[in-house]
Amino acid sequence: MSKSGKRKKPSIGKMIAYVFLSLWAITTLYPLVWVVINAFKDRRLILTDSFTIPVGAKATLDNFRLAFNKLNILGAYKNSLIISCTVMFVVMLFAGFAAFALVRYHFRGKQFLYNLVIAGMMFPIFSTIIPVFRMMNSWGIVNTESTALSLMATALPQIAGNMSFAIVVLIGYIKSLPIDLEEAAYIEGCNVYKIYFKVVVPLTKPSFATVAIFTFLWSYNDLFTQMFTLRLKNQWAITRLLGELTSMEGTNYGLMASAVTLVIIPVLIIYLCLQKYIVKGLTAGALKG
Amino acid sequence: MKKVISIMLVLVLTFSLAACGKDKNNAKNTSTSTDKTETTETTDKTETTTPEEPKKPVSINVTTTYAGNDGNAQNFQDAVKAWEKETGNKVNDSSATSDETFKARVLADFEAGAEPDVLFFFNGVDSNTLIEGNKVVSIDEIRAEYPDYASNMKDAMMGASPVDGKNYSVPVNGYWEGMFVNKTVIEAAGVKMPDATTTWDEFLDICQKIKDAGFTPIAASLATVPHYWFEYSIYNFSETGKHNTLAKEVSDKQGEAWFNGLSDIKDLYEKGFFPDNTLTGTDDDTVQAFIEGKSAFLIDGSWKVGGIEGLTDKVDDFTVTYVPGKNARKSTDIIGGLSSGYYITRKAWDDPDKRAAAVDFITYMTRDELVSQFAQYSATALKNGVTVDESQLSSLAQEGIKMAAGATSMTGALQDLIPTECRVPVFDGMPNLVSGTVDIKDAIQQVLDLLAAR
Amino acid sequence: MNSNIYKKKTPIFVFLIPAFIFMTIFLYYPFIRNIVNSFQSITGLGTAAKGFNEPWYANYKTMIEDPNMRIAIKNTIIMIIATLVGQVGMALLLALLVDNIGRGKKFFQTVYFLPIVISATALGLLFNLIFLYDKGMLNQFLEILGFSGLIDWKDQHHAMMTLLIPVMWQYVGFYFVILITGLNTISEELYEAAVVDGATKLQQVFYISIPLLRNVVCTCIILAVTGALKVFDLPWIMFPKGMPVNSTFLTGTYMYYQTFNSNNVDYGSAIAVVIVVLGIILSKVANKLFKEKDY
Repeated sequence: MSKSGKRKKPSIGKMIAYVFLSLWAITTLYPLVWVVINAFKDRRLILTDSFTIPVGAKATLDNFRLAFNKLNILGAYKNSLIISCTVMFVVMLFAGFAAFALVRYHFRGKQFLYNLVIAGMMFPIFSTIIPVFRMMNSWGIVNTESTALSLMATALPQIAGNMSFAIVVLIGYIKSLPIDLEEAAYIEGCNVYKIYFKVVVPLTKPSFATVAIFTFLWSYNDLFTQMFTLRLKNQWAITRLLGELTSMEGTNYGLMASAVTLVIIPVLIIYLCLQKYIVKGLTAGALKG
Repeated sequence: MKKVISIMLVLVLTFSLAACGKDKNNAKNTSTSTDKTETTETTDKTETTTPEEPKKPVSINVTTTYAGNDGNAQNFQDAVKAWEKETGNKVNDSSATSDETFKARVLADFEAGAEPDVLFFFNGVDSNTLIEGNKVVSIDEIRAEYPDYASNMKDAMMGASPVDGKNYSVPVNGYWEGMFVNKTVIEAAGVKMPDATTTWDEFLDICQKIKDAGFTPIAASLATVPHYWFEYSIYNFSETGKHNTLAKEVSDKQGEAWFNGLSDIKDLYEKGFFPDNTLTGTDDDTVQAFIEGKSAFLIDGSWKVGGIEGLTDKVDDFTVTYVPGKNARKSTDIIGGLSSGYYITRKAWDDPDKRAAAVDFITYMTRDELVSQFAQYSATALKNGVTVDESQLSSLAQEGIKMAAGATSMTGALQDLIPTECRVPVFDGMPNLVSGTVDIKDAIQQVLDLLAAR
Repeated sequence: MNSNIYKKKTPIFVFLIPAFIFMTIFLYYPFIRNIVNSFQSITGLGTAAKGFNEPWYANYKTMIEDPNMRIAIKNTIIMIIATLVGQVGMALLLALLVDNIGRGKKFFQTVYFLPIVISATALGLLFNLIFLYDKGMLNQFLEILGFSGLIDWKDQHHAMMTLLIPVMWQYVGFYFVILITGLNTISEELYEAAVVDGATKLQQVFYISIPLLRNVVCTCIILAVTGALKVFDLPWIMFPKGMPVNSTFLTGTYMYYQTFNSNNVDYGSAIAVVIVVLGIILSKVANKLFKEKDY
């Protein structure tokens, strides 16, 4: 917490800030509330009466009951977590390496590699999926009965897909890092690998947390890749499972709202867990130590 | 708070990892145990029923569109289980909801040599590459070896391939297109309910009266789903039974029919019979307005019966009837057919282990009994027709059966002959046509050019 | 210039190879295939090419004359500007404010993240219901205020605005999280020193926070530009197929439309190439304008 922030009484400027921040908070909180209240409504009410809170006769647990009865939700959560956590960790590890090298080292072709990374952010999945699918099919990791292989086949392209974003963001943070600390460590006899893990990573922990959150989120929500790689029902991840449930004509919006609610929960847990790393004062502590 | 949550996460993770490890064992266990039951089942069978050579249990890969919220998803899964139990074979079901991604996945599978053994897929132009590439086996070829294959179906209705006119797939449940009516609007506007005898001019009259009474006569999103109006208004100008033939040029008979049909839609639009937001709203929006009693008519497919049942408590307020006819077309000449069916892939056919299992699976899934259960109020190709317990159905579904039964002819949809990319000028371009920014004849010419360029 | 630590170059390979192996196999190789596809004739995603176009650059020639592509580019430029001002600008403002208040920091940090979590399908439905013609939340509200007549928020006059607001709103949280992370990596001692020197809050923001945030803001700008070029899901759900009358196409949605709805896969591939080329050029420009700095 910023000590300097706690001076005297709240000023007018601060009041205005709070009002403004709260107004924005309402706009971001409301859709979540909207989704959750509609998850407890009958599908017929959502289009006609979606902005009220369901009480008494209007409230129903049917949507959740339907989802839980028909589907193996826990199994799908498990598959989702395996895929997305793998993607998250591999991306953090390798993107961190790459970003570090692209910031600290000077070498020929660096600019070219950087452009490649930027380009990688923009390849639409729709234009890369077919070659990727054929390749993985020739390796025999898609279209199998093995759940482990299918989950891996989902994770691999997602790792690549999130890599550029992670590298770009990490470059931004590592660039702002003062080099003095690394020099100090070097003088103490650390090699570059040690410097990276003992100095750079701890100092940029918040940025790794940020990258981790978004990587997890995008991997988790990526329905398109899953459509190609997860075939059999016991391989389905949660987004695939609930997407399948809520698709089709005569869309069942009540079911959709409950599905969205079920999908959001793990992401929120992950965010809240990682959020504690996005706090102030780490650099200061490191400098002292 | 933070701690609690992180502990929760750790728990979830360990649980999932443990479950993962356990699951692998489980999977192994279950697979061995199913193997066991399978073998016992087959031995049972050899002892009791089949005196022929004992069959090895086979596992076949099946891809269908019976998934998600499809009304028959559950029926399909039950039927698969029953078949597995009966034969001892195993089905790897990779069904998914039919959408653009699904189509791409199926085509990519065939391209990569990863196709399923049995496929339930469209029989219109979407299947052309499968037939051109000799990836699926024709019914004739199957019958050379299994003479009784699909013998309960009318050959003429099975949905011949646009490529060579031969049958490749065995259909289950089809569709018809009809005009759904919100009766409350008809009553409130005090107009006559359209029926089998209503003519086009009478229909225009009714629409005008409904409009004068302050309602929207026709619910349609011309921006997103002009398909049904496209079909019927063109059918109004083509010869009965010759509706689904393609025009060669704008000035030939079919080309004229297209022009006159599309001009009729423009006419309806100019008369203000469509919703105000027909060029900007989605289909969901306009259907919702129909359900809420803001508009009177909705042309849609038989699947909308289930859709309407799901959207309203008062399904008795709705009915379905014929789309009023014009010229040679009687109102009772309707559009419908069977747009998908079961294929056996070349890969499965050439695999001696799988051939019999695939044939047996399809034969099982297309028995009269199962087809009736799947089809209910929609069209089928069964020689004996469906047997449905009507008392289980809503009034709307019963009206649907009645309407389909009273039809004097049923013709396939014209659009099934036109690949998606060639429909663009008249489908996605419909708002341009009705608002007059693009000339109708130019648009038809564009479609024909696209068709010719293929 | 860098110190001696980074003179020895061998570790570069160790650091770069894993990431680039992944990207080469799963991104660059497929994308080279995509470039080749853009010269061929393909009529369905997943089907094989039917040979090369005549002439091979036919798709690019069509694109220059394609009025929809022109609309898509125009709308995307509007989107980029809106993203820069509305998303990054808004996010920066929110991040600076949140950074400088005492209590409630955690709360805002969590709540602002929420829109990103909710799937585009659900948000699309929500916004469709808000903007619904007869009668969504907004039109009901106008009625209460005494306006007569319904406004069609999705007609050609309002469509782009109706499209921009939800997209902008949804991603503010994304840039907010990135920026607040950047602010949190700024050493507390700098602020303490400034306080000793008698700097006001406002001066701290302008002389410490913003300059030190420069690199992260620059990252955000690159992300915003590339993001706007490929944005797809929410616009597609609210305005499928570029409706009304093709007026809301963006490069991302137009690419999808050509690939899946028109089955013109090769043309879609060509659009993808253009998206990537534009993205690289624009991020170069952004880099030049807001030059990143090494410390």
